[in-house]
Amino acid sequence: MEEFILNIIHRPEMVPEYAEKVTGHGQAEDLGRKALLTESLDIFKIQQDAAHRNGLKTTIQMTYASLFNDEAVALAKADHQRYGDEIGLTLLGLPCKEFREKYKTKDFCIWMFDMDMKKSVVDDVFGKFYERFGFYPESTGSYYMDAALINYIKETYPMVKCAVATCWEEGPKAYHTCNNSWYTFMDGGPWAPWIPSKVNTHAPAANESEDSGIVAIPHLSRDLMACYDGNGSNFGTHPQNVLRGMLYTPGRFDEEGRYSGQTYPYLYNLIDQYRYQAKFNNGYAYNMQFVGPGWMNKMGRWEAPYELLKASYDDGCAYYGRLKKEGKLIDMTMSEFADYYRGKKRYTEPECALWRDLIYGSDKQLFWYCDPYMRACVNMDQGGAIVDLRPYAAKLEWEIGIGTPHVQECAYPFLIQEKYRAGYFTHYAGEGTVRSAKICHKGEEVDLCLCRTKAHFSEPTPGCRKLTLDPVDIVFQDLTVKLQTVITFQEGSSDIQIERHVLEMSDPDAEVTINEYMVACYGVTEYPEDMTCITLSAKKGGEENTLAYAYKCRDYSLAQADEVAAVIPPIKTRVSLEAEGRDKEGYYKEGYAFSPMFTLGYNGTLKEKEVFRTWLKLARAD
Amino acid sequence: MAQAGKGRLNYRCPSCFMRDLDIDMFYDAAKGEYYCIRCQYTGTEEDVLEKNQMARFRYRFLTRRFTMDEFEKFD
Repeated sequence: MEEFILNIIHRPEMVPEYAEKVTGHGQAEDLGRKALLTESLDIFKIQQDAAHRNGLKTTIQMTYASLFNDEAVALAKADHQRYGDEIGLTLLGLPCKEFREKYKTKDFCIWMFDMDMKKSVVDDVFGKFYERFGFYPESTGSYYMDAALINYIKETYPMVKCAVATCWEEGPKAYHTCNNSWYTFMDGGPWAPWIPSKVNTHAPAANESEDSGIVAIPHLSRDLMACYDGNGSNFGTHPQNVLRGMLYTPGRFDEEGRYSGQTYPYLYNLIDQYRYQAKFNNGYAYNMQFVGPGWMNKMGRWEAPYELLKASYDDGCAYYGRLKKEGKLIDMTMSEFADYYRGKKRYTEPECALWRDLIYGSDKQLFWYCDPYMRACVNMDQGGAIVDLRPYAAKLEWEIGIGTPHVQECAYPFLIQEKYRAGYFTHYAGEGTVRSAKICHKGEEVDLCLCRTKAHFSEPTPGCRKLTLDPVDIVFQDLTVKLQTVITFQEGSSDIQIERHVLEMSDPDAEVTINEYMVACYGVTEYPEDMTCITLSAKKGGEENTLAYAYKCRDYSLAQADEVAAVIPPIKTRVSLEAEGRDKEGYYKEGYAFSPMFTLGYNGTLKEKEVFRTWLKLARAD
Repeated sequence: MAQAGKGRLNYRCPSCFMRDLDIDMFYDAAKGEYYCIRCQYTGTEEDVLEKNQMARFRYRFLTRRFTMDEFEKFD
């Protein structure tokens, strides 16, 4: 039986991040302003009511500010009693008069504080929570929770079992959308719940010894195509995000001032496509809705009047409520979900998503794969090319916050990222990051990135997730080749196996050459990093050739190579390619200043009914 | 001339919105127009609302409702 789990979370954020800026324009900053506090609490009440009216329980995440407000505390207690809502504690919503006076800072993102401050704030907030409720919370969260923070919380408050710990692909794209003023850089993480490792939140734990002790959930369930390409804050299970993106058809006011007639099929399509993911995840799918009060303020937001903001929240809850009534959804609190998840998932069990375009009108399809060793995105619109790759196998230590090398940057570094470091297409010179193949015949060359296709998911044997792509025709002047790509992820292996099957050739005696390649680099943003730390190598038996990267555009080939590899010390990653096929020849290519990449690859030959097989392998470098 | 303020709603600049930039505009009461502080767009409330519709041209599935058996079906 398929199970679709929903977490709805509300926070009484007495000074919403946006409301103070928006409603307060023209007034000097005053976080204790009574009108603001009253409005914020009213929004929380409206959100709670919308969930309860539709038969849904919530997790109330108290904010630091709300712990000073008797009414907010009383409301949480009453809803816990009446509806079974969980009372948790968020590390969002720190800004308030009391916080400012005590800590003398306007910082509000817990992961950006230095470690001493993180501990002080956590102890203060958890202590205040205990003082008000007489127990410690079992769930917590923020937009991002770094590993050191999670470890401290788990060690000091072991009852915590669930946390909101990242916001999927919120990074440079969100920063740009906000005119480079919103410093949440947390690309490269899982899109669905996971158990974070102790050393890096984004990298899932591979076993009990790596287990941080909590189940992490993402902040919102985001569109795995639109959000990867565009502003994440437009494409999530957040009705007001959908309004912000103008992904709805507006209603209108009647003569008596009532607003109606609005529609948002996209929001429901997004929820339903998440439900559909149960097919690829042993019958389990997940959604999370978490709307901060600032998105529903009385002034309206993003050209949308308050009446529409409120109606959209009601409509979103009504849809979830309808699914529940139809037996298609199970609502849980965060701590209930943590118990469910630990009973459902193995450490090495991957999260898979086969995702189609829901809004732009294309037939584009992506496949996302996430396990303790990697996060990978396969793009069927580019012939099954890997267009994003994060080497979780390295379990990279990455301290975050003031006093560390990464004050704001939380992303897990990539080896391949087609949006930030180009993919197949570049402007006239150089190469972009992508893992693809080229088929060559008599001087003609066709890259599979230009062969649009679709994929089908299967699990032929335990632990094996297979993506079988529809065959594509590669048309040369005097030869047509029907080729099929099969991509296999074997649970627990940290390998990606790619097979190219030549199904047919217009000339059965013809031969083509294949160039399996991976152009890669490393980084977390659009900008290049220093590549001189990288070592490239090719190996065959006891023979090994190595090259220290120096932007000199050098290359090396080795017939019958056992592997070609790159070691990238700044991200403690070793990536290699191995191959099996006729006439295989491994190679590496150094890049140059205008193309700060490296390439690993294999050339080979193929005839009809033959297969060329490669393995991309990820490991920690040290 | 008095300082600018916010309008009735936090209207975004249509020109910047088209390039995935959300920037609230400010309202110049003397000229009766909204203006963008980053780019050169200016316009009345009516013009802002009309131009912001332009972002929707790319949403060809805006009104399409998928059924559960359509997520792997392609035309």
